[in-house]
Order: sequence, then structure tokens, then C-alpha cells
Amino acid sequence: MFEVLGTKILAGVVSLSMLLFSSFKGNDPLISSISTAKTGSYLYLKANLENAFENDFPSIFASGSKIPVHYDLVVHQGSRTVASHRITNTVKFDPTTGIYELKQGNKSPVFTESPEEVKRTLAAFEYSLAYQSAWNKINVKLEAHLPKVHFQQLNKELDLMVLWKYKKPSVKTLIDIRKVF
Amino acid sequence: MFKTGLRTRIFILFIIVSIGGLIVLNNVFQSKHQNIHDALEEMELSSQLRELRHFSHEDSLKAQALMRNFNEAKAVVSIALSDSRTMSSVVLFIIIVVSTSIFIIVLSRLSRPLRELKNATEQIRQGNLSVHLPETGIPEMRELKSSFNMMSRELETVQSRLLVAEKEMIWKDLSRILAHEIKNPLTPIQLAIQRLEERMQSDPERVKDILAESISIISQEIENLRLLAQDFSNYAKVNQPNPESIDPALSIQEIVKSYVRDFEIKLTLEEGLRINFDKTHFYQVVTNILQNAIDASEPSVAIEISLYRERSYAILSIKDHGKGIDTKDLQRIFEPYFSRKTKGTGLGLALVKKLCEANSTIIRVKSKPGEGSEFILIIEAQNQ
Repeated sequence: MFEVLGTKILAGVVSLSMLLFSSFKGNDPLISSISTAKTGSYLYLKANLENAFENDFPSIFASGSKIPVHYDLVVHQGSRTVASHRITNTVKFDPTTGIYELKQGNKSPVFTESPEEVKRTLAAFEYSLAYQSAWNKINVKLEAHLPKVHFQQLNKELDLMVLWKYKKPSVKTLIDIRKVF
Repeated sequence: MFKTGLRTRIFILFIIVSIGGLIVLNNVFQSKHQNIHDALEEMELSSQLRELRHFSHEDSLKAQALMRNFNEAKAVVSIALSDSRTMSSVVLFIIIVVSTSIFIIVLSRLSRPLRELKNATEQIRQGNLSVHLPETGIPEMRELKSSFNMMSRELETVQSRLLVAEKEMIWKDLSRILAHEIKNPLTPIQLAIQRLEERMQSDPERVKDILAESISIISQEIENLRLLAQDFSNYAKVNQPNPESIDPALSIQEIVKSYVRDFEIKLTLEEGLRINFDKTHFYQVVTNILQNAIDASEPSVAIEISLYRERSYAILSIKDHGKGIDTKDLQRIFEPYFSRKTKGTGLGLALVKKLCEANSTIIRVKSKPGEGSEFILIIEAQNQ
């Protein structure tokens, strides 16, 4: 609880400080509302991360290091946590070919030369959640964050959250599974 | 107009000099970082290297390593710059919040004792010398408060000594005056009694011849003693005024009635004026001043009493053409027991002053030795 509170205070202080005293724009990421669909015993969840990969990110993607974006999905029924998953989208650039290798969750990797395609793929969250018929109404919380990345050539580890002003975008939604088609 | 206090001015100065300076410094820093960042964005190596033909596998590996190194360095520098700009603004924000808080606390700790000192000084000015400040706060303030407490204690001691000395002086003066005033009638009484005793021993048959005269002297002097006691009593017990609406012209005419048979008194009284004054006090004030004027004048020379309205005041002037008052005495004539007359206690004008103050009236004196004196009463008139 204190960690969450600390993160929120830090994000608030950083945002206010930057608004007042910095010309650095950074990124102000936010997650659009979660859309749902039912396929058999799976609940298909889809959301999109917006304004997340503009300033500074193109040169970070082009570094050649593997850049992950984590999505933490937590499902509550009442006050009980019934499911918790981390889905990671990654991008890795090959400077010799100029091709990005993209991986979305557990899906097979795709390759592209387009930086726009990279942004779109990293920003897309998709997950099929196996649900139990007894769940009925569930609270779904989705939160995105960036990890510390180790740059091997320079042997340096840097926290990418600075580019998001230490703000973890999240969304909460109440889903009535019986009403999802 | 809005007036800024010392604390506000110090605070504004602090904001301008300290925080303003930091903000300017931060802006310069941010701007330089932005320039470096823009230059970094312009740097591109990979695409050109990819277009080169590499003749050997070794060249290709070297080019790959170069590209990876360059791109990583660019990414790391870019993140480091962003991090540095973010951190500088956060640090500046924290410095501003913390330094402003500390500044306000320090300023308040400094100004609170000053406010206490100001209030204490105000109390001393109003006569409360027993005020003492708690010796708390920073050492310099403790020292200042300690000095202040010492000063107030010394003032208190000096004041109590002065009070004792003043009381002693008043008692001495009073005793001297009382002794003198009592002795004056006692001497004729004693002489009258001695004459009677001597006559009774030498010629008892002719006691009758001097009896009436002696009794008259004794009776007169007893009356003088009674009047003396009356004067002291009047001065000691000036009651709270009981103001009522009176016609001053009418009151003056009534007072003057008993004097006009023996003395020349010229009246110029505006009629229709009304004032708020305790009737008894008004009688005492006018009688005392008039009696003084009579004592100072020759019986044939007129005393002028005039009453007129000036703006919202009734002006009463009692003017004689007697011997006047010396300039050096003029300031002391309202002091109790001060008198240059051979008879009297010196309480008459002191009583006049006291009664005037009790009835919110201003009294002024103009006098020139050899030309006479004029006592002017300025009394608030009622609206007509």
C-alpha cells in the first residue's frame, strides 16, 4: 500500500515540477477503456495505451536493446484476487538490417521496418482470460509500466519510467460477464 | 492603500532573490539540455553504415558493433538528459517548497517575539509596568526579552519609588498648607481669648466692653476654619457629573445676583444657548473663577462676563482688569495648593480644572501682568 502511495506521490511531484519548471515534455500515457468479448470459456480483453511512445522513444527503440512494456492485469471478485497476469510486449531493433522484431505477449514475433508499427504493437494490449462461471461480476485493473533496461554495450542500466514521468497508466473497470457477448 | 509589513517585504525579497535566481538557473540548464537533445536527434549513423559495402565479414562485424554502440549511446544519453531535466525540476520544486517552509517558520519565530515586544511596549506605554515576557526563542531573542524584562522591572521599581516620593511630597505640602491655614484663624482666636482673660483679671466689671468684639472675631475665624474645611472637602469629593441640559445664561445671571450689589459686573450673554453640564459643577466653576476675578480686581473696575456661540461650542469668558498672573505662574495655577494670594488654600482653580474635565469642557487662560486675566470655558453646545 505504501509503495503504491509513494509511487503516486512521486508521480504527482514529478508532474507538477515538470509543469512548472521543465521544458522536457516527456510522455503522458493513458490506457483507453477495456473492451471485452466472450469466446467460449475465455473472456477476451483489449485495451490501448495512448500517448506513450512519442518523445525520446524512437531513439530508445533504435538502441538495439530489448525494450519491454509490461501490462499487469489483476482481476478481483469482491475483495478477493481471482487472477493476476503480467503480459509483456517487446521490441528489439537490429541496426544492421534496420528491422524491428516485435513480440506481443505470447504471440509469435513479427518483423517490421516501420517505427509507427512498433508504437502501435507495443501500445496494444490483448489477453484471453480463462474465467469461471461463478465469477459473474469482476473488477479488472490493468496497469502498464516500463522496467529498468540494461544496455549491454555500455553496461548501463536505466529506468525508462522517467520518460513516462514516473506515472503508471492504469484503468479499472467492472465487468458483468453475463452481459458480455 | 495596501501597506506591506516587514515580514511580507522580507518574504518577497527572498522569493525574488533566492527562488527567482534558482528558476533562472534552471531555465538556462533546461534550455542547454534541450539544445544537446536536439543535436543528438540529428545524429544518424546506422542508415549510412548499412548502405556501405563491407568487403569482409570482419568489416561487417565491426560495422555492426559500431552501430550497436552508437545507437545504445544515443539512447542512453537521451534518457540521461531527460532524467537530468526531470530531476532538476523536481529538485528545484523540493528546494522551493522546503526553503519557503523553513523561511516562513524562521521568519515567524523571529517576528513573533518582536510582536510580543511591541505589545509589551504598548502595555508599558499605557502604564502597565508589571508586564514580563517569557524568555524563550532563539538566544538573541532571549537576550532581548531578558533586557526588556530587566528594563520593565527597573521602571516598575522607579515608578513605585516615585509614587512614594510623590505621596510624601503631597502630604508634606498638605501638612504645610493645613498648618498655615489653621494657624491663621487660630492666632486671632487666641488673641481674643487672651484679651478676655486679661480683662477678667484686671477689670472684670468691663469685660462686657470687649466681649461682643471678641465673640465676633472668634465667630468669624471659626467660620473661616469651616470654609477651609469645606474647600478641602469639595476638592476631595468631586462626584461623577450628572449632566443635564442647562441654560448657561440663566445660571450665570443667578450666580451674579449676589455679587452685583458690591461689585461692577458687565454681562454680555447670548440667549437661547443650551449646554450639557452638571448644574452644581457649573455653579462651582463660575463662582470660583468669578471670586478669583473679584479678588484680583479693584471694586470699581468692571468684570466682564460674556457668553456666545462659536461653531458647535458655547464660549464663556470671565475677564478681569486686575493685576494679572505672572507668566511663570500661569502654567501652575491649576495645580492643587498653588496660590499667590494671601488668603485661600490654592484649591479653587484646581477644583475648577477638575470639574471642567469631568464635564468634558476645555479651560484656557490668557493673562498679562498689570492688565488682567481672562478665563475661557469652551463647552460643547447642544443643537438648537
